Amino acid sequence: MLSRRDLFKVAGVGAATLLVAPGFVGQSFAAKKSLDDALKEKLGITQKDLQASELIKVKAPTIAESGANVPVEVSAKIPAQQVEALYIFIDKNPNPYVAQVDISPANGEVYFATRVKMGKTSPVRAVIKMKDGSYLSAFKEVKVTVGGCG
Amino acid sequence: MASVGRAIVRVPRKVSKGQVFKVQMVITHPMETGLRKDKKTGKIIPAHYITHIDFYLNDQLVTKIHSSPGISKNPYFAIKLKAEQSGTLKVVYADNKGGKWEKSVNINVA
Repeated sequence: MLSRRDLFKVAGVGAATLLVAPGFVGQSFAAKKSLDDALKEKLGITQKDLQASELIKVKAPTIAESGANVPVEVSAKIPAQQVEALYIFIDKNPNPYVAQVDISPANGEVYFATRVKMGKTSPVRAVIKMKDGSYLSAFKEVKVTVGGCG
Repeated sequence: MASVGRAIVRVPRKVSKGQVFKVQMVITHPMETGLRKDKKTGKIIPAHYITHIDFYLNDQLVTKIHSSPGISKNPYFAIKLKAEQSGTLKVVYADNKGGKWEKSVNINVA
């Protein structure tokens, strides 16, 4: 039997959870985004819209010495005229979006290299937005022993 | 840091017409994410990072890089360009705190 006292107790706990929960969820959401969130925010697509492509080559170390400084090189055997932009995402970073490069025919080749921060072991993903609206993608798994996202 | 925003842009000394060449650059910049805490005071270090880098070849925008805090400290970028004619490559870059800089290099097409 549920006494009057128990009922108040349960109601009290329930109310407290309700009060705390939205704030907590909101906070964790802001601090950490999934790859899908980043793709949606930047490109308006989900992971399903990405087509794996062998034309894109992602060059990065298999094991990174430090997550604070991981060299990444992306090149693609696709004519620059057909490409609109190139994106780099690190799947498991707190904020997976790293960079966007707008490609123009003056580039001659689709190529971009930089150094990125990585929080932990994760695929480094290159996404190429084609002029016809499709998205090609390729990735390389990089092992990180010491994270570099602060 | 007094030298924040200083950049080195490197291109080949000479390129032949039609050749695709590499443009490399390094910017001196802390690239703070805004998530890191100061170990002594416990306060969050405010975000401070390069937001975009524009490459102008003879005053025409050829490439635009949208950067984010996910790029390492003292960021390095490399792109490729196709040599059509001699001219200047102007690189304009800015950070989220209103810093804006530019750097020009000559390109000699033989």
